[in-house]
Amino acid sequence: MSVLRDYAGAVAQPTLAGPGEQARYDEVVGPDGSLRPAWKGLAETVVGLTSRDLRRADGDVSAMLADDGVPASWQLDPVPLLIDAATWAPLEVGLAQRGELLNALLVDLYGERRLLREGVVPAAVVLGHAGYTRVVSRPGALDPRPLVLAATDLGRDAQGRWHVLADRTQAPSGLGLTMENRRVTSRVLPELYREAGLHRIEPYFSALRSALLQSAQGDLADPRVVVLSPGSHSATAYDQAFVASALGFPLVQGSDLLVRDGWVMMRAAGGGGRLERVDVILRRVDTAWSDPLELRGDSRLGVAGLVQAVRRGRVRVVNGLGAGVLENPALMAFLPAVCEALLGEQLRLPSVRTWWCGEPDSLDHVLAHSDRLLVRPVDGSPLPATASRREVETRVLAEPHRWVGQERLPLSQAPTWGAEGRTTGRAAAASLSLRTFTLRYGSAYRPLVGGLATVVDGLALDGSAADRPSASKDVWVLKAAPTDPDQGLAEVLPLASAPAVTVLSPRVLEDLFWFGRYAERAEDALRLVLTVHAYVEDYRTRPRSRGGASTEVLRGAVLRLAGAGVDDVDEEFRSLLLDAGREGSPAHALARLREVLQGVRDQFSLDTWRGFGTIDRAGAALHAERHSHQVAESGGRMLTGVLAVHGVTTSMVRDVGWHVLEAGRHLERALQVCHLLAATTTVRRGIDVDREVLVGVLTATESVVTHRRRYRGSVRPAGVLELLLFDTDNPRALAFALDALRVHLAAQPHSTGSTRAERLLADLRETVDGTDVATLVAIGGVGRPHLERFLAQTLRSLDRLAEAVHDVHFAAGPAPRPLAAVATTEVHR
Amino acid sequence: MSALSEVQSWRVRHTTSYAYDDVVTDSIGLGHLVPRSLPWQQVASYAVTTDPEASDVSHDEDHYGNVATYFQITEPHTRLEIEAVSEVTVSDAAPPEDDLGRAWETARPLVSPRLPGAWLATDFALPSAAVAQVPEAAAYAEASFGTGRPLGEAVTDLVARLHADLDYDPTATTVTSTVAEVLASRAGVCQDFAHLALACLRSQGLAARYVSGYLATDPAPGRDRVVGADASHAWVAVWVPSPDGGDGSWLAVDPTNDQRAGTRYVTVAWGRDYGDVAPLKGVIVTEARESTLTVSVDVAPR
Repeated sequence: MSVLRDYAGAVAQPTLAGPGEQARYDEVVGPDGSLRPAWKGLAETVVGLTSRDLRRADGDVSAMLADDGVPASWQLDPVPLLIDAATWAPLEVGLAQRGELLNALLVDLYGERRLLREGVVPAAVVLGHAGYTRVVSRPGALDPRPLVLAATDLGRDAQGRWHVLADRTQAPSGLGLTMENRRVTSRVLPELYREAGLHRIEPYFSALRSALLQSAQGDLADPRVVVLSPGSHSATAYDQAFVASALGFPLVQGSDLLVRDGWVMMRAAGGGGRLERVDVILRRVDTAWSDPLELRGDSRLGVAGLVQAVRRGRVRVVNGLGAGVLENPALMAFLPAVCEALLGEQLRLPSVRTWWCGEPDSLDHVLAHSDRLLVRPVDGSPLPATASRREVETRVLAEPHRWVGQERLPLSQAPTWGAEGRTTGRAAAASLSLRTFTLRYGSAYRPLVGGLATVVDGLALDGSAADRPSASKDVWVLKAAPTDPDQGLAEVLPLASAPAVTVLSPRVLEDLFWFGRYAERAEDALRLVLTVHAYVEDYRTRPRSRGGASTEVLRGAVLRLAGAGVDDVDEEFRSLLLDAGREGSPAHALARLREVLQGVRDQFSLDTWRGFGTIDRAGAALHAERHSHQVAESGGRMLTGVLAVHGVTTSMVRDVGWHVLEAGRHLERALQVCHLLAATTTVRRGIDVDREVLVGVLTATESVVTHRRRYRGSVRPAGVLELLLFDTDNPRALAFALDALRVHLAAQPHSTGSTRAERLLADLRETVDGTDVATLVAIGGVGRPHLERFLAQTLRSLDRLAEAVHDVHFAAGPAPRPLAAVATTEVHR
Repeated sequence: MSALSEVQSWRVRHTTSYAYDDVVTDSIGLGHLVPRSLPWQQVASYAVTTDPEASDVSHDEDHYGNVATYFQITEPHTRLEIEAVSEVTVSDAAPPEDDLGRAWETARPLVSPRLPGAWLATDFALPSAAVAQVPEAAAYAEASFGTGRPLGEAVTDLVARLHADLDYDPTATTVTSTVAEVLASRAGVCQDFAHLALACLRSQGLAARYVSGYLATDPAPGRDRVVGADASHAWVAVWVPSPDGGDGSWLAVDPTNDQRAGTRYVTVAWGRDYGDVAPLKGVIVTEARESTLTVSVDVAPR
């Protein structure tokens, strides 16, 4: 059954529009029921799509997004939005003009301010907006090209005409997700993709890269560009990391940068507090948070002195600081006049109709029609549609110049799979907005031929839809002729020629260290849990057997790490694998691993996230299936996932970053093996029970085969301890881990051979060397006191060593603070 | 009003020192310490020095035309002293009496955006970070702004009322006290007097700016010593449009001392409120938990 034909049939029904709803423009079906031009050429393939095809595509989309590490809040509809070349062409011209216009407007607002002086734009429109950044508006500090990358949100009216809903100029997001959407959509609908003949996105990233390099001041041969992120907790962290890694520029945070004598420097790994100059900053931190000295003093996301460096022209910030002033919707009311004044042209792409309440006539209009207008402050969220007329009046009249009323555009609609498709197998008509991107490339503004469509909820339409977690659609702009160059950019060099840049700040090193630690911890904990689970399953019916007793011992090892859990055995396993809040559990280690990875995302290939996709699916399966065998099934798959994540690191360049990751991994391995032995081997419980426990220990440490090879199946404490503590050829052994740790620590820039970390490690290695198995296994009472003491001491030493590693290698020093944040006693003389 | 001559020369020394309880390894500062050159104020010389010496210093003109001093000190220190010395000559400057005599309603830039200079004055008519629009301030101000009252008279009246109703009390407020708090406690320091005055003036639609500077306090013979001695001072200036051309002028009044700012007032910088023109602010890198701030200001005739 053809989904599209069904959809076309339903759209043709006049009942589809609810009572009182405005007619919408349909992106696929014309008023006569025939397909729009973009779809017509693909009619055969498109009409052939059945609900089974789309159901499969929808499932594949979710799996692929998860495999690429896209946050679950990001939804992608499998049905793309198609736009033919003839429809796109005028939009492209309009967007190019808008880019040029907004740049010129920005230059004027922070420079000559002719528009304000001449009253083309009322001064209160601009001066009353929080985005107007006076500290960058100084004589002699003018950036002639403050706008490099802009995003524009567009919607179509009932006649299909495009209107701008919002301009995004502060730090436009979504380009990375646009690329990701394309990767996924092209793979789930390969026939359609092949047949469509659309503009590929890659050349646009090459153009962006080249535009950023050319943004550097002066004539630098090899400018350093960084992407400044507010951190991995940002809502658009994925997008930022995607862009950084696609461009090959380091993803940095404010704490990685500092200003020294007027230049912006990056803390670089390499010893002696090495600093490298930064020439261009692609900023994803809002202006207000960019410099605690001159902007918000409470910001930890910025760089003190950045504004001064910008004013001196020593660093280019993209988009320029203060560019957010253009996001003011009140400007839309004046753009036609601004366009005439600055470019001497007519504005080609209209904005959604906007009334600025600072003008008496407009104020009257907005108050009289507040029920059908979108009433919003110039720099905040709109009033809810449910606000009463009185409420609106009170708010607006208190400061009219800070309010606008905007027409609510009906928006166009397109078939969307979504929840409706999943249940009924039919595509529903959903309204959408389109986010486009415009880049200053060379001397002109070039819109991305493509974009990000967002399925919006008509009630909540506020132009910021793309920032909310709602479904998105890939946008396919078809070529007029198959020979057209992608993005119309025939001359752009492919990204592959770009040299990879790796710069490692202490923050990045620390994240990598913890990456190694959590990956190892997750692996070890999963192996232990799986081992225990197998024992439990095996002896479930024979609790009093020796197997039952050994199971309790091994469970004790889990409890030692993860604390007391749930009484019910099955629930306990589920908790260990699913409860990320339970410290010491595999779930906790996996969650932290993912978190740490967010901060260094640009350092790893996308394959890393495929491992997490496996882990997520295993967790979902365990949620859905309560049967005990699912624990083994899901736990096993989680282990596969962790090993896959780990596997990606084998192809890392052997630089400082790789060494620190390996250092973390081996330190954690040493800790884990000692914990396991301390929980299982220090107390004697009878030869048979002890033997079963030791087999479990060997299983959990993946050493069964090695042990068999060495000791021919005879499982005794001495052999197991020898293998897991002192065997320098066994990668699972303490001694091996310590030797590896020494090598990887030595490769760190701050290592001298005699740092505290290295001294502690040498002492520990010596102690291990000077200990023999015969002493350790010696019996005293019910236990092995020497072993117990040895393990406890080793664990203490390892903890101290871990602290020392932090102090020596990751200490970035205290964070910069505003003077006002230091408790001050004032003395008057 | 002033017993001094129409032109007065001053030598200002403004020393600020911070003593920390631990080493500061990096300190970036931004100050408004150098007096502005103005038609009524000539700056003969100025110097800003720091101890330890800054590795990077510059004096730039900021958005409002003030001199902003930027410095960075990368030498580890536990004590930082910033000294600004300047020599200025101030003459009496008051807006033309004709302009002051027009009804205050004619001086509202948002109501009359086409007046010459209104677009510039708009910046000072809107609420700002430290001067929020609060209904209490509007209610307080109303008594001084009867319909059609001459602008100069209305402003003078407001300033007199503020001076009478507010106690000068350094313990009543902090540097972050809000207008509403000052109005509730009816006490504060010059900065609070100024912020409240701005809130009142702006509530009526007038444009008013915060002025930071110094007040010479040598008691004139037979007169009491004025409040605000030995510290930075703050007052306000109200926009007075001039229909005959030009961007208008500004009436500078001191609500703390209930007088017009005459030749005893050395103007350093102006902005929307204290936040735009703080004498000194900075970001430091340190483990220090406490600092002791010592400020000394000396305005001497020369």
